Amino acid sequence: MSEWLVILGAGAVTFLTRASFIVFADPHKFPHAFRVALAFVPASVLAAIVIPGLAMPHGTVDLSLANPRMLAGVAAVGVALKVKNPLVSIVAGMAALWGLQALGG
Amino acid sequence: MLSNRQTPNARSEFLAGCRDIAPVLVGTVPFGFVAGVAAVGAGMTPAQGIALSFVAFSGIAQLVVAQLVAAQSPAIVTLAAVLVVSLRFLMYSAALSPHLAHLPNRWRVPLAYLMTDQGFAMGTQHYGKAGDRYHRHWHLLGMGLTLYVVWQAAVVAGAIAGAQVPASWSLDFVVTLSFLVLLVPALRTRADLAAATVAGAVALVAAGLPYKLALVVASLAGIGAGVIVERGHRR
Repeated sequence: MSEWLVILGAGAVTFLTRASFIVFADPHKFPHAFRVALAFVPASVLAAIVIPGLAMPHGTVDLSLANPRMLAGVAAVGVALKVKNPLVSIVAGMAALWGLQALGG
Repeated sequence: MLSNRQTPNARSEFLAGCRDIAPVLVGTVPFGFVAGVAAVGAGMTPAQGIALSFVAFSGIAQLVVAQLVAAQSPAIVTLAAVLVVSLRFLMYSAALSPHLAHLPNRWRVPLAYLMTDQGFAMGTQHYGKAGDRYHRHWHLLGMGLTLYVVWQAAVVAGAIAGAQVPASWSLDFVVTLSFLVLLVPALRTRADLAAATVAGAVALVAAGLPYKLALVVASLAGIGAGVIVERGHRR
């Protein structure tokens, strides 16, 4: 029961944030500071998701060279800086992880 | 959807949107699969996992819900976490709104519903190109519908067949990589870099906080750092 509530709520939250300015409001009616802060939302939220995914493979922080996810992430960043196609970076990152896991295992 | 404005031009924009989003789909399929697996792994039924995907259509929101349902968090905490990861939609929505302001709601509502990280990134690129912009919303629609259909198919497959994939494939790493490829081009200025660095560091330090609150705290800290660096730079 409570799962269904959460499902409907998640649908409402994701739709309302997406529709916020496209459907409901004019962003120019909001204070300048608000728009400045909004500009840093993607970099902040994405980093807050990505960095733990690289540095905390098993729930604890592991910044050593023995952490294949961090090395694979660094490789994917290197590729992403050179190649614009996101697919190439994702494939490179997965290939690096599998390669490192094969070497380590 | 069809109106007297539909001309070969609208059709060509729509098809170009379908084509332009294609390179992203190789990340979308495993990511959707992982989201489907995660929902069922968290104790939701396959029907609930699929319903969540149809209404939310957001990989990261679906993963957050799965993690918090698994942790038996209160609904209000789960929805607060969904709100934080959805804050980026506010920014995307603000950036796209000038391009869509002339359209009626029967266009704006579905285009808002179909907006994704990838669709936004490519859509703004497309709007930035020179030439006739009159039919460019068809490009957004083409990208959005293509991504929607492929995403839902992948989630359904994950929710139904998911538990069979061996953990040694590390398929969950696709999720991290999908966001990493969005993060890299988002770092254009020193202030962006400061925001990302602080958010990443706080996410690690605050990892022990309950209910995935680290994500909320880290995101807000990153936004604050970005604003501070930007102000210092202007002076």
